[in-house]
Amino acid sequence: MSASNVGTIIRKDFTEFARNRFFVFITLMVLVAWVAVFWFLPSSVDETVRIGITQTDLGGVLPAADGAEVAGLSLTSFPTEGELQAAVESGDDGIVAGIAFPPDFLTSLAGGTTPTVTLFVPAGLPAEQLAMVEGLIGEAAFGLAGVAPPVDPITEAVVLGTDRVGAQTSLQDQMRPLLLIMVLMVETFALSALIAVEIQERTVVAVLATPVRVVDFLAAKSIFGVGLAFTEVALLALLIGAFAVNAPAIIVILLLGAILVTGFGMIAGSYGRDFIGTLMVAMLFMIPLMIPAFGALFPGSSPVWITILPTYGMVEAVIGVTIDGDSWSQIAPALLMLAAWGLAAFAAGALILKRRVATL
Amino acid sequence: MTTSSTTAASPAIAVDGIRFSYGDTPAVDDVSFSVAPGEILGFLGPNGAGKSTTIKMLTGQLSPESGSIEMLGMAMPEQREQIQERLGVCFEEKNLYLSMTGRENLAFFAKLFEVRDFDPEPMMERVGLATRLDDRVSEYSKGMRQRLMMARALVNQPDILLLDEPTDGLDPVSAIAIRTLIQQEADRGAAVLLTTHDMHEADTLSNQVAFINQGSILTIDSPENLKLEHGTRSVRIRTRRGDGVDEQVIPLDETGSGDRIRDAVSDEDLMTIHTEEATLEDIFVEYAGRGLA
Repeated sequence: MSASNVGTIIRKDFTEFARNRFFVFITLMVLVAWVAVFWFLPSSVDETVRIGITQTDLGGVLPAADGAEVAGLSLTSFPTEGELQAAVESGDDGIVAGIAFPPDFLTSLAGGTTPTVTLFVPAGLPAEQLAMVEGLIGEAAFGLAGVAPPVDPITEAVVLGTDRVGAQTSLQDQMRPLLLIMVLMVETFALSALIAVEIQERTVVAVLATPVRVVDFLAAKSIFGVGLAFTEVALLALLIGAFAVNAPAIIVILLLGAILVTGFGMIAGSYGRDFIGTLMVAMLFMIPLMIPAFGALFPGSSPVWITILPTYGMVEAVIGVTIDGDSWSQIAPALLMLAAWGLAAFAAGALILKRRVATL
Repeated sequence: MTTSSTTAASPAIAVDGIRFSYGDTPAVDDVSFSVAPGEILGFLGPNGAGKSTTIKMLTGQLSPESGSIEMLGMAMPEQREQIQERLGVCFEEKNLYLSMTGRENLAFFAKLFEVRDFDPEPMMERVGLATRLDDRVSEYSKGMRQRLMMARALVNQPDILLLDEPTDGLDPVSAIAIRTLIQQEADRGAAVLLTTHDMHEADTLSNQVAFINQGSILTIDSPENLKLEHGTRSVRIRTRRGDGVDEQVIPLDETGSGDRIRDAVSDEDLMTIHTEEATLEDIFVEYAGRGLA
């Protein structure tokens, strides 16, 4: 392999990239837009649910009202049912629901008759908050009557990263892997388009009629692809604070991610016939590669099969480092998975591109 | 660059019995020829005759299934790198980097050939593009791109030039400029293999022409010999006869043709006199049973 030839081809590729207004535009646009989106998102989570009650004769069964907060639940006492209803309707003070215990609540329970509790909920109240309010009523009944509530059904779900119940992550933190992967996807397309043009215009034939070897050509495309993807994703990572914790680990993760997408870029570039064709082929890879990052936005909702997708290891590792503060040993399995996929994609991309060039 | 291992007597290109197939279809079958330094071999044939496949084997893009290729005393594809250092190729397709300027295109390829202190200006001047040196190739006309392709093929001052349809579809001015360059390179000592289906171009430029059809070479000889051997030379004379025109064709090889021509020339009613000989196209049709189209 000739380092001089590789360097010459890389400089040429960079010139072509820099002269392509579309690539430059989407590269800059994505960088600016993603950073803006990231910093626009809330960086913290307010998990407190505020509920209003009219509390009659309940004594110490429920936590003391008037602003008391227990495990994310805040109770506010209202003197009358009418005032409670008005507060829920207006949504003032963040009251998401109201519970109006009847005046004979305790005596009815003691007497063995079922009391009727009025629940004020606004339209569109999330189901989980409604369940929480209903649970609160059940807890009150349990405290008074000593009857055990029914057992909740067990559900199985894959949670990306650590189960965050009780320690929710901010939207910023959840979006971070998605933004990083989307930037890698953009550069995947840029690389694949550059390769496709080189094949369509058959300029690669002219290059290979010089003392340049196929291995020089492949090395140049690989270095340019990885360099382009890594530079942009590292810049974005810097701007969205991904290097704040364990920067070396993030660098390794992003480098492996850049190698991974370069492999897919070479595959897409080898099969692309024109701009739209290349875009379509690239999309075949880009969509599944983004799924794990979208899964991170909805912890607990992702099916098991996404764990086999190539970018799952990257998302796991990024979440582990940036949110959970995981050590190298803790992210090692995810890194190994990412590295394995990266090497496989890269080897496949280089092989397919080599065969494509040989048939021109 | 490596030094030449050829002697003055040895051919720069020596091809012996090469064969290549696409699947079960033979594209080149038992093709042999040689080109000496300073010589231009015109490779003539219709589309699909096997010209470009032969060029691809000479550039190392394809490896022959059988037979051998020796260039500058070295074997292709075994010594591909050393050969390519001294090879200039002008491809049929205009495979230039369109977003780069003419200067950048030439500088890029000069760098790949490791040409030290390459100055694109004299080369661009030579192909008549000096004023477009810093324009992007996307702004070049078809003829200008073809001239840039020729300039690119010459950046390493090659000992062998492989030219695949270099004047195809060009305007007359661009075609003449390209032909002049080809002749200059041959005069410099480069061995030139020129594929074309332009018989006039082959006739005026080539020292030898090879007719190729359906992957096989039909014959190789100089244009003059081919015309002598396969055509009939004659003189066409037109004279005025009253209100009409009398036309006679006198074959030069017939007995007494000299006297007939002298009589015709001395006729005061002589209108026109033209010598005629067979064209390469006529001879190709005779060999191949078909034309070049």
